[in-house]
Amino acid sequence: MKRHRSRLADYEPAKFRRKFNIVVWLVSCAFLILTGKLWYLQVIKGDQLRQRSENNRIRVQEVKPLRGLVMDRNGVILVDNQPSFDVSIIPEDAKDVSAITDRLRVLYDRRGVASFKDVPPVKGRKPFVPVKLDRHIGRDKLAVVETNSLNLPGIVVDVVPVRKYNFGAMLAHVLGYVGEISSAELKKGPYRSYRSDDIVGKYGIEKNLDLYLKGVSGGEQAEVNVAGRKLRILGGVEPVPGYNVMLTVDSAIQKICWDAFTEKAGTAIVMDPRDGSVLAMMSKPSFDPALFNRGISEIDWKCLISDPLCPLQHRAVAGQYPPGSTYKLIVAAAALGEGVVTPRTKINCTGKYTLGDRTYRCWKKGGHGVVDLNRALVESCDVYFYHLGEMLGVDTLASYSRKFGFGVKTGIPLPGEKGGLVPTKRWKKEKLKESWQKGETISLSIGQGFLLVTPLQLIRAYCALANGGTVYRPRLLNRIESVRGEVVREFGPEKESNIPVSPANLEILRKGLWGAVNDLHGTGKACMREEKDVCGKTGTAQVIGMPEEDEDPHEEKVPYKVRDHALFVCFAPCNDPEIVVLVIVEHGGHGGSVAAPIARKIIDGYFAGKKDETVVRHSEEPSGTEDSQHTQQEINDRRGA
Amino acid sequence: MKIDRRLLANFDWILLFLVLSIAAVGLLNLYSAGHNLPHAGDPLYIKQSYWLIIGLMMMIIMFSIDYRFLVTYAYGIYGFSILLLLLVFFLGKMTHGSQRWLVLFGFSFQPSELVKLTMILALAKYFNDKQIDEGYYLRNLLILSFIIIVPFVLIVNQPDLGTSLFLVALFSSIVVFVGIKKRILIIFSAAGLVLAPLCWFFIKDYQKERILSFLNPERDPLGSGYHIIQSIIAIGSGGLFGKGLLKGTQSRLRFLPEQQTDFVFSVFAEEWGFAGVFVLLCLFFALLLWGLRISRNSRDMAGTLISFGIIMFIFWGFFVNIGMVLGIFPVVGIPLPFLSYGGSSMIVLMMGVGLLMNISMRRFVFQP
Repeated sequence: MKRHRSRLADYEPAKFRRKFNIVVWLVSCAFLILTGKLWYLQVIKGDQLRQRSENNRIRVQEVKPLRGLVMDRNGVILVDNQPSFDVSIIPEDAKDVSAITDRLRVLYDRRGVASFKDVPPVKGRKPFVPVKLDRHIGRDKLAVVETNSLNLPGIVVDVVPVRKYNFGAMLAHVLGYVGEISSAELKKGPYRSYRSDDIVGKYGIEKNLDLYLKGVSGGEQAEVNVAGRKLRILGGVEPVPGYNVMLTVDSAIQKICWDAFTEKAGTAIVMDPRDGSVLAMMSKPSFDPALFNRGISEIDWKCLISDPLCPLQHRAVAGQYPPGSTYKLIVAAAALGEGVVTPRTKINCTGKYTLGDRTYRCWKKGGHGVVDLNRALVESCDVYFYHLGEMLGVDTLASYSRKFGFGVKTGIPLPGEKGGLVPTKRWKKEKLKESWQKGETISLSIGQGFLLVTPLQLIRAYCALANGGTVYRPRLLNRIESVRGEVVREFGPEKESNIPVSPANLEILRKGLWGAVNDLHGTGKACMREEKDVCGKTGTAQVIGMPEEDEDPHEEKVPYKVRDHALFVCFAPCNDPEIVVLVIVEHGGHGGSVAAPIARKIIDGYFAGKKDETVVRHSEEPSGTEDSQHTQQEINDRRGA
Repeated sequence: MKIDRRLLANFDWILLFLVLSIAAVGLLNLYSAGHNLPHAGDPLYIKQSYWLIIGLMMMIIMFSIDYRFLVTYAYGIYGFSILLLLLVFFLGKMTHGSQRWLVLFGFSFQPSELVKLTMILALAKYFNDKQIDEGYYLRNLLILSFIIIVPFVLIVNQPDLGTSLFLVALFSSIVVFVGIKKRILIIFSAAGLVLAPLCWFFIKDYQKERILSFLNPERDPLGSGYHIIQSIIAIGSGGLFGKGLLKGTQSRLRFLPEQQTDFVFSVFAEEWGFAGVFVLLCLFFALLLWGLRISRNSRDMAGTLISFGIIMFIFWGFFVNIGMVLGIFPVVGIPLPFLSYGGSSMIVLMMGVGLLMNISMRRFVFQP
């Protein structure tokens, strides 16, 4: 202690003075360094860093609009939206992606639900953009994810609206389907404004009216915490749902067609000849458009693609067939128009027609005997039309065919429409470098040979006959409306041209078609109704060249691929046609025996439905006696008409 | 022990004012930083104010006892704190993968904090006893090294690299201040520079990560660099006047890590902006200068060294912590004095302040 004290006694603080000055100087330096750095961060880079702090907490999310609905002419919803759930992961929030996904897998296993594939590495992904793990999950998986959400940071469930096709395969080809936009599509002009994860129509109405159906995306600003959990919505722009599209299609008639058409492949169309609207349009075999909703699975896709019957082909607009005897209407119209025959012109059908060293047979062995134009149409006498064809020549036939609307696309708003083929001398010279053979005109005159028509073209030609001569552009769209019901676009009937057939000649042709259904010898007898109000024409289109020898190809013996197509086109009621029906059964055999009964079912169904409608309307009427009488009167009036 | 009335007349009100101002800022800031954190029992700022009250009581005790009495028993006190560190080594509580806490009567205590203070006392006694004007020789330094190596090894082993390096910084500041021969200083520095890369092989992976991400924070923006980036965003986004109390989005939404302890300053900077931060820095600067004045005016070697040590204690905490959250230094777990949440740190700091007052009051008092 003593020593200690003595030390204190001679303590000289002055010797530290210089050191203290250095320390003060150092502390001041430290103070300046910190102040300088803070000035730099808070004042110079303050705005920039504030922006980064906002980016940290605010997530801007695109809010996809709901796609517009598609309805039939009566407002029945054909395509609706329904929710689908996706599981995604936000890697930035999950921190350890593989640990979290493993945890989710374990949870899935525990519940016995199928797991998902590995997380795909997404290049060029913006931070905080979710990566999809599992699409279109069921309720069981949704329950697993929702109940364990606290243990699964970074895992989010998105609700994605998907298309609901209320009529499934029945209207698949008309309505089409949707899918995620492909990178190839994104580069194309019409899709420039789309984003990489947009859903676009890929087929049918969904594709052709995509611009109307898709709507406008909105955005949402949400505040999130460090775990990525949304705390509150700060604001945003509401998405604008897509427009609703009303078709001319009548779902009830469509269903009648679908039910009536029991054959495996072919097409049926129902049109209103008065304005060219398509009431029903089906193609078989079909597919389930909902398969494509969230990306079609490989197996399903392979199934569709490898099916020899091509279920994805829309036969009504993209199928090209030789019209067979249904073409005789045009030949007859041309012959009457050009004056080469009159209704009284008679030709003797011996069952054969010889041109040079070739013989062309009539479908009826032994021939029809002496026939006039009416009988030729009724019994579909080939020989009669061979004569007409020879007299008219290929180019006259071609010119009439075009006036009936063959050889060009009808312009129906559906993708993949084909134009068919109307052969001419020039066409053959240019395309095949060969000159036209007379025998080819003979084939042409019964709708065989090079001639190809789409079912839609064919029914349109018959519409023109039914309505007194007007060729309409087939109407599929009625109008486009906004969600609030404001009409955005309205589509009226569009007259394209008139067929060059005088009213008198029209009457002759109609009579022929009436006989074809209602005459005892008519080829389309199968379509005869009690009311005898159907006019129609059968057709049996050969798939391979006409058999010259006398071997009669029995359908059962011939392989499916080369069997004849069965065609039937008709309209009713004959005096004031309301509907035109076309049925084509691919490789079905005879038009009269295969296609006509289907058409009959459709016509029966149509008129039965109409009757029901009137009855329903009547019963819905309030029970005032005066009103009731009034309505009764109306019904009677209608019946009379 | 009876306190002389003259002592009270010389009571250092300015020191008390500065310390209480900073501590008040600290409590207010903890109110905000802990606002959105899940906690058991009382909110953090309430708990911290209990620690502050206990600290103030300790401060009173520390200035009541004559520091020369404490210097006399400095080695014993130092030995006692080393004993506590050994107890941690054998009985300490494990949290977050390290063993730093000693549980006494239901209270958790961090002896490594206490060692900071007792080491200052031990060094003060050593240099007070052996004053050599020409500077200290290697032989003395080897003995001194022993004082630092024992706690250093024990604390590194916890593992707590930050606190052990802090001890080295504190030790070096005092030793350099007292003065050693330039030759020896150069040898020591050179040895340190050679040994530092060797240390690389002994430190833990997460510590390597911290150093690497300090060198390049964007190296792994979601991993170890994440903390420092979020801290810089928080501080910078405060701008000139800040976002306002409880309005700091970085802290409220918990983008800031460790926001009640190591990154507490970022919370303050985000909410109060450059204006608030500047006031706080000035308070610290004033405290440091005032402390150095106490040291300079001290009437004996022990007083000078103790007060200088305590000022260095505060200075290194202040400079390294703020430097760390600003990205000037790598992330080492050094709390910001008076602002970071923590009982041991607060109590030991207040004891240090008590010692400063002790020395300040007794500058005119001569031994009877």
